Amino acid sequence: MSDETHTLKAQARERTGSRYCKRIREAGGLPAIVYGHGKDPVSITLDTKEAVGHITKGEKVFELVLDGSDARQHVLVKDLQFDYLGTNIVHADLARIELTDRVDVMVPLRLVGDAPGLKTAGAIMTHPVAELELNCLVTNLPSFIEIDVSKMQAGDVIHAGEVQLPKDTMKLLSDEDGVVAHVVVQAEVPDEGEESEVTDEGATPEVVGEKKDDEDEKDG
Amino acid sequence: MPPYKIPKRVKHRKEFRRVRDRKATKGNYVAFGDFGLQALEGCWLKSNCIEAGRVAAQHYLKREGKLFIRVFPDKPVSKKPLETRMGKGKADVDYWAARVKPGTVLFELAGVSEERAKGAFHRVAMKMPIRCRMVGRRVTV
Repeated sequence: MSDETHTLKAQARERTGSRYCKRIREAGGLPAIVYGHGKDPVSITLDTKEAVGHITKGEKVFELVLDGSDARQHVLVKDLQFDYLGTNIVHADLARIELTDRVDVMVPLRLVGDAPGLKTAGAIMTHPVAELELNCLVTNLPSFIEIDVSKMQAGDVIHAGEVQLPKDTMKLLSDEDGVVAHVVVQAEVPDEGEESEVTDEGATPEVVGEKKDDEDEKDG
Repeated sequence: MPPYKIPKRVKHRKEFRRVRDRKATKGNYVAFGDFGLQALEGCWLKSNCIEAGRVAAQHYLKREGKLFIRVFPDKPVSKKPLETRMGKGKADVDYWAARVKPGTVLFELAGVSEERAKGAFHRVAMKMPIRCRMVGRRVTV
């Protein structure tokens, strides 16, 4: 996360619901909600270009200024809703925070370096866990965590518990046994490998609970 | 019917056609790999198309990376023979298909560069009966 906290201008919206949200989006706005810290939730409208621009860069903490009031409130992006293609952000959840709070966030992982193990024939790098959940101070939120894979040989595994967190005050909440990087050597496949996954069984599947001809005769 | 991937056991031999025109609310993001091939239209994707896509990707990648197939053809589609009068019951199963809605991620790739994934998905998309595009992972919050 950059050191600077960006300011987002917002307008409170009185009308809620999908029809009104659709009109807001068509007008270039992003429907959002602010909640938390024992106060009532407030439905707001953000400027899509401004908000999405910052969010896609990895910003999570913003200073929110509501139109018609001088009060400034720090907020954390808690959740995002996407359209069915995942292209556009259609709604954002913002949680009120203080800069001294500790928060739980998901942080993406970034693998850096060239693993020598990948030069082995059939070796690929897999990372089943692509993001880690951390508990940390709002001011210390990382945009990503770098994992050095430059010493990984074939078969080597890095678990979540072995990842060096950027600050000592950060706590890992994800499962420590989660695999964040693994150089897997795939099993040798015969030359006809492109066709090997095809099932050679009969064309009709078995029907669960269907009586076979022999059983029918016995019953009859 | 050629031996493409089909279910091993089913509860019912045939099923209704059901509604098709809906957008994907599940399976519409990259979950396992780094890149995915996303359907931009809906269709009943035949089992042979899925198999053709898999073969095309593996032929291009030559054992590099890991391919995930996110759809499975579990829908039996029946078809009456030619020059047959209507009636006399529902026809035999002609093929098996996966229900694909706009937004569904069909294939995913892990352990390859973006350039290689792009090349592989371009070839896979040529085998699909619908428009597709390559997508990456979504923003994490």
